[in-house]
Amino acid sequence: MDGLVIGLDLNDDYTQISCFDKEKSWTIPTVICRRKNEETWLTGEEAYAATLLGEGIIVDKLLKMVLKEGTSTIGGICYTGRVLIKLFIEKMLQYPMLEFKSEKVAQLVITIQEVNAKLLDTLMYCADYLEIPREQVHVISHTESFAYYVLSQKKELWTNQVGLFELSSDRLCYYEMKVQRGMRRNMVQAEVQNQEESFNLDILDSPSGSKMADKILSACGEKLLSRKLFSTVFLTGKGFERQDWAAGFMKQVCSRRKVFVESHLFSKGAAYKGADYLHDETSYPYIFICEGRLKAEVSLKVMKRGREGQLVVASYGDNWYESKSSMDFIVDGANEVEFTITPLDSKKKKLLRIPLSGFPERPPRTTRIEMSMGFTDEETMVMVIKDKGFGELFPASDAVIRQEVTI
Amino acid sequence: MSLILCRQEPVKHPFYIDVLGIYIHSSQELCYVIYNHPMLVLDEFVDELLTGFIRRELDMDSLAGRMEKLMETGGRTEDVLVLFLSECDYYSDKEIQKFKAALSAIRALHPARYDKERADYMFGQRQFGKAAGRYKKVLEYPADRQVNEGFLEAVYNNLGASYAMMFQFHKAFQAYDKAYGLGKNQDVLKRIYFLTVFAPELSVKEGYGPLFTKELTAQWKHEADSASLDAGQAEEVRALRALFKKDPVKRVKGASEMVRRWKQEYRLMV
Repeated sequence: MDGLVIGLDLNDDYTQISCFDKEKSWTIPTVICRRKNEETWLTGEEAYAATLLGEGIIVDKLLKMVLKEGTSTIGGICYTGRVLIKLFIEKMLQYPMLEFKSEKVAQLVITIQEVNAKLLDTLMYCADYLEIPREQVHVISHTESFAYYVLSQKKELWTNQVGLFELSSDRLCYYEMKVQRGMRRNMVQAEVQNQEESFNLDILDSPSGSKMADKILSACGEKLLSRKLFSTVFLTGKGFERQDWAAGFMKQVCSRRKVFVESHLFSKGAAYKGADYLHDETSYPYIFICEGRLKAEVSLKVMKRGREGQLVVASYGDNWYESKSSMDFIVDGANEVEFTITPLDSKKKKLLRIPLSGFPERPPRTTRIEMSMGFTDEETMVMVIKDKGFGELFPASDAVIRQEVTI
Repeated sequence: MSLILCRQEPVKHPFYIDVLGIYIHSSQELCYVIYNHPMLVLDEFVDELLTGFIRRELDMDSLAGRMEKLMETGGRTEDVLVLFLSECDYYSDKEIQKFKAALSAIRALHPARYDKERADYMFGQRQFGKAAGRYKKVLEYPADRQVNEGFLEAVYNNLGASYAMMFQFHKAFQAYDKAYGLGKNQDVLKRIYFLTVFAPELSVKEGYGPLFTKELTAQWKHEADSASLDAGQAEEVRALRALFKKDPVKRVKGASEMVRRWKQEYRLMV
């Protein structure tokens, strides 16, 4: 393998870095500091040290800043969130590069809590800046990282349901996944539930607070784990760095199932996925149904050898951000395009017809269209249909249709 | 309704069809031309240039090979064309059968009638020079049940029309004269009269003067005036007027472009 396969768990609290096949992982606060008098950027301990000494200005909540298109002015220079996160990621990649003495990134998989188009665009911009080819950069949700992490463990750990509690300073999340064996392909369904009962980790410093936190967590455990058969439960996040405060919860969760604490679960899951990209054949032959992946199939009615058939343009489990295609078709018959959208529950299948309004009238089969499709989120498909005419026989017009479809 | 998925065709050098004056950029366009222009494709269309285009530009090496093999082994042009249509998945089997039947019907024509059809097709495509050449060839066929006076009258009439379209009024008159001699058709007479309007120097008075009666000339004059009025309102003429209202620079540029186009059209015609 030439270059590092890096999994980067990026969130506003802290960032974790893991590499495939490497023992060492890093947890770095997601902050960046610029020295007051020079354009030198610092991260981690150095950032805090420079700030405490009054030599630098620290910026945090970088992801939120990107989403809100915010800026930060340091030393008279206005920096956008996009620029700051770019500098931050560059710094983060230096940790494994220096440690493992490698300057090349073979694959970079970034995992984030919520997959958002603006954030994805920004991260791709960062990849361009870092000169990592786009096909070597992927962004996935925490849910997907969790699924990859679990599937990379021994099979007996995921025979039944697998649960994950993530307890960090600002949230308590519960993830669950199961592998469903199907006739053709196996399917992995994973989902996340943000628990309303989250609490500030500072309460763990007092005995009464710890007791209360244990009670809250036990109630969650009771609610979430009691009715299903679990093979394994994983615990991750800063709140589980120590478990002495959660005796009740641990007793409950450890009953009849295996329990593991993995502090770098998401970044490791991302690294496993990155490693999979290096192989021609995937080691994870599953359809992934989770955040960031499509939960419906989109197909088009096409004619082939005189017979009608369906051409699948987006499938269950496709990464919506990476699901882009552009194809040329000849319109046969009525001037419209007919899509079939089939959700996992096939009873909810629906037909969608897009009339080619504004397209010139021409003899049958003399309108060539270019259809480009993409997604702005996992439920919204955007398509652009352009009239390409029919060579010099029927020249193209300027007719274009852009339509958003909720799938 | 449905869609036909287009295959990726890396056409860098499109295929030129001079009769139609267009370049072909895809297998679908080629299918369309073959299907809709049987008179164009039946002879002298399937050759190495075409199979080369199919092989290299349309990236259909195996199909081009099969077409060539069929040609080498004495296969008929229609079989080669049908093979191409069948492989491209643009027309249905039913449509291809219809096309085959149409080609068979054309092939079954008397050679003189077949050549006239070809010449008529060229005329329809405004290839008047090629059409005139083919009409003259038709006239060389010996007379028989098919090549009768009525048939020859139609050929001479079309030959006259081809020359007239190329502004060769003397030749046009000679052809119309033969056509009128064969059928004494009033429509042909009218065309001869119109020729005298376009080319007053034609000395047709001796033979036709008495035939151009007052009533007929009044009627034809009215038709000519009406056609002239319609022509004055034609889109091309309006475009020309608009051009001459522009500033001198744009006018000269537009005029030179228009003359270039007319020259090109005329070259294609003759």
